[in-house]
Amino acid sequence: MAPIPGSGLAKGLAVTLRTMTKKTVTEQYPDTQPDLPPRTRGVIGLFEENCTVCMLCARECPDWCIYIDSHKETIPAATPGGRERSRNVLDRFAIDFALCMYCGICIEVCPFDALFWSPEFEYAETDIRDLTHERDKLREWMWTVPAPPALDPGAEEPKEIAAARKTAEKLAAQQQAAQAAQAEQSKQTEQSEPPKQPEPREEDA
Amino acid sequence: MSIAAASPGFLSPTGVEIAFLLVGLVTFGAALVTVTTRQLVHAALWLVVALGGLAVEYLLLTAEFIAWVQVLIYVGSVVVLLLFGLMLTKAPIGRSPDADSGNRWAALLVAGAAAAALVWVVVDAFRTTWIDLDGAAVGTTKVTGESLFQNWVLPFEALSVLLLAALVGAIVLSRKAKADAAASSRAPQERGDQGADRSEDRNTDRSAQEGAR
Amino acid sequence: MNDAVDVALRLLIVFAVFLTFPLIIGQTEHKVMAHMQGRLGPMYAGGFHGWAQLVADGVKFVQKEDVVPAGADRRVFQLAPAVALLPYLLVLLAIPIGPGEGAVGQVLDAGIFFVLAVMGVGVLGSLMAGWASANKFSLLGGLRTAAQLLAYELPMLLAAASVAMAAGTVSLPGIVHAFQWWWLPWQIVGAIVFFVAGLAELQRPPFDMPVADSEIIFGAYTEYTGLRFALFLLAEYAGIVVLCGLTTVLFLGGWHGPWGAEGLGWLWTLLKTAVLAFVVIWLRVTHPRLRADQLQKFSWTLLVPLSLAQIALTGIVKVVIS
Repeated sequence: MAPIPGSGLAKGLAVTLRTMTKKTVTEQYPDTQPDLPPRTRGVIGLFEENCTVCMLCARECPDWCIYIDSHKETIPAATPGGRERSRNVLDRFAIDFALCMYCGICIEVCPFDALFWSPEFEYAETDIRDLTHERDKLREWMWTVPAPPALDPGAEEPKEIAAARKTAEKLAAQQQAAQAAQAEQSKQTEQSEPPKQPEPREEDA
Repeated sequence: MSIAAASPGFLSPTGVEIAFLLVGLVTFGAALVTVTTRQLVHAALWLVVALGGLAVEYLLLTAEFIAWVQVLIYVGSVVVLLLFGLMLTKAPIGRSPDADSGNRWAALLVAGAAAAALVWVVVDAFRTTWIDLDGAAVGTTKVTGESLFQNWVLPFEALSVLLLAALVGAIVLSRKAKADAAASSRAPQERGDQGADRSEDRNTDRSAQEGAR
Repeated sequence: MNDAVDVALRLLIVFAVFLTFPLIIGQTEHKVMAHMQGRLGPMYAGGFHGWAQLVADGVKFVQKEDVVPAGADRRVFQLAPAVALLPYLLVLLAIPIGPGEGAVGQVLDAGIFFVLAVMGVGVLGSLMAGWASANKFSLLGGLRTAAQLLAYELPMLLAAASVAMAAGTVSLPGIVHAFQWWWLPWQIVGAIVFFVAGLAELQRPPFDMPVADSEIIFGAYTEYTGLRFALFLLAEYAGIVVLCGLTTVLFLGGWHGPWGAEGLGWLWTLLKTAVLAFVVIWLRVTHPRLRADQLQKFSWTLLVPLSLAQIALTGIVKVVIS
């Protein structure tokens, strides 16, 4: 079936006319805040308590926009006669957002979950040097990082929660065992003599 | 001649007459610059002024139809075609030293002779004719059309045939230039009945003007 | 004395129309184009939906430096915007908006020829600009303008001639007076040819290859800045007003309407003109630009034969009914 000549032109006109009657997609940004998805790559926040100065992020950064300075500190032995331990202490952590291309590799490679995406994006500056965000500013961005998304139903538990749960379960099991032991002892003491000190406390310490 | 006696004299010119003279001077000046300037495109643009001035003169003579057709055909099409040709070939900004062709004097002679002949013919034909500006306009479309198709049908048709011949000639020439190539988009269009129709239509405008001259 | 006041008043009104209508159409284009593309368009200037955007643009243009290229032909370069703009002002004088003497700037005996002739002169401005800019892109733009004018002037003239034949007069008010509703189907082909050819003469998309920005920057207007550039843009929009007004008057019956033709005739003219202006914008948003050779082919193989057929049809019907 040969199309009527000009039907394509009419079809185009219909498309534009239909679009005109629909709602526009423009977001009037400075007047109304955009409705961004929570994982938007706005700015990178630093959770510095987690940082171990492993330097992976700075090394993987494709445009070398992460600056890290640190020194080593020696921690005295925890127990008498134990070995002294050395620890990295962060002196400076800065990201130059004038160079950053928001690839997110630093966040991916961080083994200790010290870097996070935050959806904040309003940090334009009039001086390019102000785009280098220092440690305190990066820490401030951390407060704007949204909570992690909920897990899929039936997903494996996160490791830290699993570990905590296991510990808690272990404790509970020990307590139960102790109680059970106590109950048995008390039974026996009813038959023989009164109970002594409860044992779980020693194990707690 | 009683008309001459009744006609107004030259000593107390009306506003329209003064305007006619002034526009005439401007037209003449523009025409002079057109042929003397060394800048090709400027010559074409001065030609616009000259042709426009001529249209104003027609207007002042109440020949409104002729005036607008003059603008339409000459300013709107012929000069545009001229400029198109100039730009396609060579249209430098500034003077073109080779714009002069050595036979200036011969050209002047021919131009002078042509002007003299035209002036003589016009003066001889319309010596004592005065246009009554207050009465009904004598150059309206209706009047022009009636005189064209009643008194001047033969020259009109002759001009039509002439233009048709020119049109056919142009097509023949353009087709010969690329005989092996596929026919250009306009060539098949102007062949046959439609082409003839079209030339007739164009002629209406053009020969009306010629007739008026 | 009364005559002088009358003339002055008419000129003033036409001038006011000349200054405001193109701006209104420009603003409409901003908004309509935006919404057809799912956008909002200007929202800030003037407060309410950016109504003063073009005023702001004008202020900006005035403030800009007026640059003339060193190699340009100075006087021709500076004169070109005026040559492009003034003809449309003159044409507006001749377009009747309602019945009666009071609704037209100046009644002209050969109105059709006047408007078409003067519109053709407007293109001369683009040619001058293209040549005088001393810029290859400008020259190409000028060439394309000229080629386009030559191709589209003919069908436009033929379509107008058809309606003049139907009315038996070449005066614009005369044509509208003679208009009957059944002319609409009778002259529909001529109307379309006239409108399309007019679009091409105004270099409006989809016939805007003389200013094709992806090929030749901005054609003949590449080198222009500031106010002179604004004048060229104003000429384009004034051209839309003129083309839509002319199409209304010639083919859509001007002030004739289903009702209220006595007092509200001018409203009908304005309404039809506005609808046509919307169509101009609509076409611009919808269709991509034609190539230069497609444009020529479209005119010579489609529009010219169509307009000739329209003339033949007009002639036959005219002879049959008389």
